[in-house]
Amino acid sequence: MGLRWYNFALWAAFIGGMFLLPEFVSKGTLRTIIFANFLAIFAISWDVLSGRTGYISFGHPFLIGIGAYTTAILSKRFDLPLEYSIPIAVIVTMIAGFIVFLPALRLKGSYFALVTLAFMELMYQLVQVFRPDLTGGTRGISGIQTLTRGAANGYYMSLSLMLAVALSMWLLMRTRVGTALSAIGMNEESVSGSGLNTTKLKLFAFLTSAFVAGLGGAFYVHYLGSIAPRALFDINFLFTIIVAALIGGSSTIVGPMIGAFFLTFLLEYLRPYLPGAERYFIYGGIALLLYMYQPKGMYEIFMQGWAKLRSGRAA
Amino acid sequence: MMQIIVQGLLLSGLYALIAVGFTLIFSVGRILNLAYGAYLMIGGYVYFYISQQLGLPVLAGVLLAAVVGCAAGLLKYQLLVRPLKGDHVAIEISTLILAVVLQAGIVLLFGDSAKVLLPIVPGVTQVAGASVTYNILAASIASWVILISLYLFIRKTHLGRAMQAVSMDKKGAAISGVNADRVNMITWGISGTLGAVAGVFFASYTQLSPSMWVAPLIIAVAVVIVGGIGSIIGTLIVAHIIGFMEIITVAVIAPELRGVFTMLLIIGVLVIRPQGLFGREEI
Repeated sequence: MGLRWYNFALWAAFIGGMFLLPEFVSKGTLRTIIFANFLAIFAISWDVLSGRTGYISFGHPFLIGIGAYTTAILSKRFDLPLEYSIPIAVIVTMIAGFIVFLPALRLKGSYFALVTLAFMELMYQLVQVFRPDLTGGTRGISGIQTLTRGAANGYYMSLSLMLAVALSMWLLMRTRVGTALSAIGMNEESVSGSGLNTTKLKLFAFLTSAFVAGLGGAFYVHYLGSIAPRALFDINFLFTIIVAALIGGSSTIVGPMIGAFFLTFLLEYLRPYLPGAERYFIYGGIALLLYMYQPKGMYEIFMQGWAKLRSGRAA
Repeated sequence: MMQIIVQGLLLSGLYALIAVGFTLIFSVGRILNLAYGAYLMIGGYVYFYISQQLGLPVLAGVLLAAVVGCAAGLLKYQLLVRPLKGDHVAIEISTLILAVVLQAGIVLLFGDSAKVLLPIVPGVTQVAGASVTYNILAASIASWVILISLYLFIRKTHLGRAMQAVSMDKKGAAISGVNADRVNMITWGISGTLGAVAGVFFASYTQLSPSMWVAPLIIAVAVVIVGGIGSIIGTLIVAHIIGFMEIITVAVIAPELRGVFTMLLIIGVLVIRPQGLFGREEI
């Protein structure tokens, strides 16, 4: 990937514009963007694992939920300050990711997807009955300490977090490890044939993914101030994360971000016409068509269009 | 004690019916159809519309549900599975998206709230001291009839053997003159039909709601994983293991935990014996 000065200039302009945004747009739009920022974090986390290595995880809500619940319980029930509860939540999420990883050692393809789905469903059922005094049972926990007040501050926080995650993942994926992870997605046998330890690489992808998911989940719950099991361990939530990563463009960093913003705004613009769950009909329909048309996502469509435009100009 | 056995047997019959359509696709096409639960939802709602909103006879409702389910299966094969040419990851993801789309479609047509289905066969009887509704009894009997005829179909007829051949080795089957594409399509049709019929009974056992597709999908997944691919007998046995486990959990421990042991069973079996308890030695 050749990087020119104008790539950096464009990114700098874009990020600067994002930071100036609260001056211009309404609070409602800001809240939408905040949600898109968090969705982008989750989608990047999913993509680091599934988009790169081809091991499809249906259990990301499980990881996000562990991060969110850990910090919510620690800060609300044990009055632990957030400086401690969030790092602990991230570590607990990584441990959970390691536990999910153990069966993955032996499983491939569909079976792996199924075991992660089972973990998510297990968590959903356990959270409601296991120690309801801690988890709040079916109703969840509310009145959790929030990190920021007001839409603008929440926006700055979520934007910085997303950019930090995106930048570090981008840097990580440019290293040899990142290349090896993508190679696993293409052909795992040939990677292990090249003398690389694929188990270690997969473990690394898992832990990175769990780290980002836990971080995102923890900050998300301290932005929302409440948490409920059905909102988290839900197939619709899982669907939104996966679709954001895929229709944006998997195996890229920008892709999941594009996907997250596209989906969040699409959902928001549909709200006046279809207030309830019917929105997913159009939303899912568009996602399905886009995915069938170009499984590599919108990033690829843009790139092809750009390439056509340039060759047209050169000719 | 008697009550647990009777209830367990009846529930397991229903679960076997739910799982068998999913097993069929997974064995023949090696495809994880995550929209399988949507067949049950479609079947349940078609039955609800025909027999409860239009007031037509019960049998017409069940038959139409089966027809619509079959059509849904065929359409899904033609429009989704064939264009994606056996790319497993793509099929899994697109069927998941499709399931969410169908769920939203149901909300659009019938609204968000859950609906109670009148029992298909009304009445209650006593079996060995346990009160049993005719409804679940009918579901269980129908399930056994369907499972036995499916077993005979796969073992005895030419088409059934062709399905077995495709499930074992697609290339080998093609060399022996089996049109694998056609067999696959028929399997999708059968799977859709079975799913829709199971949906009618499942909906009358629980209730009709737009999110009702998740629970049967999980049951089907559990049965297939624990039973292993390519085994109807395995499906039947595991459906009974899971059915009894649930009934015992509800009766002895706590009703909220009914699904927990199923999940633990899935995870445990996948870790210890990925090919399932009764499946062939391959994954």
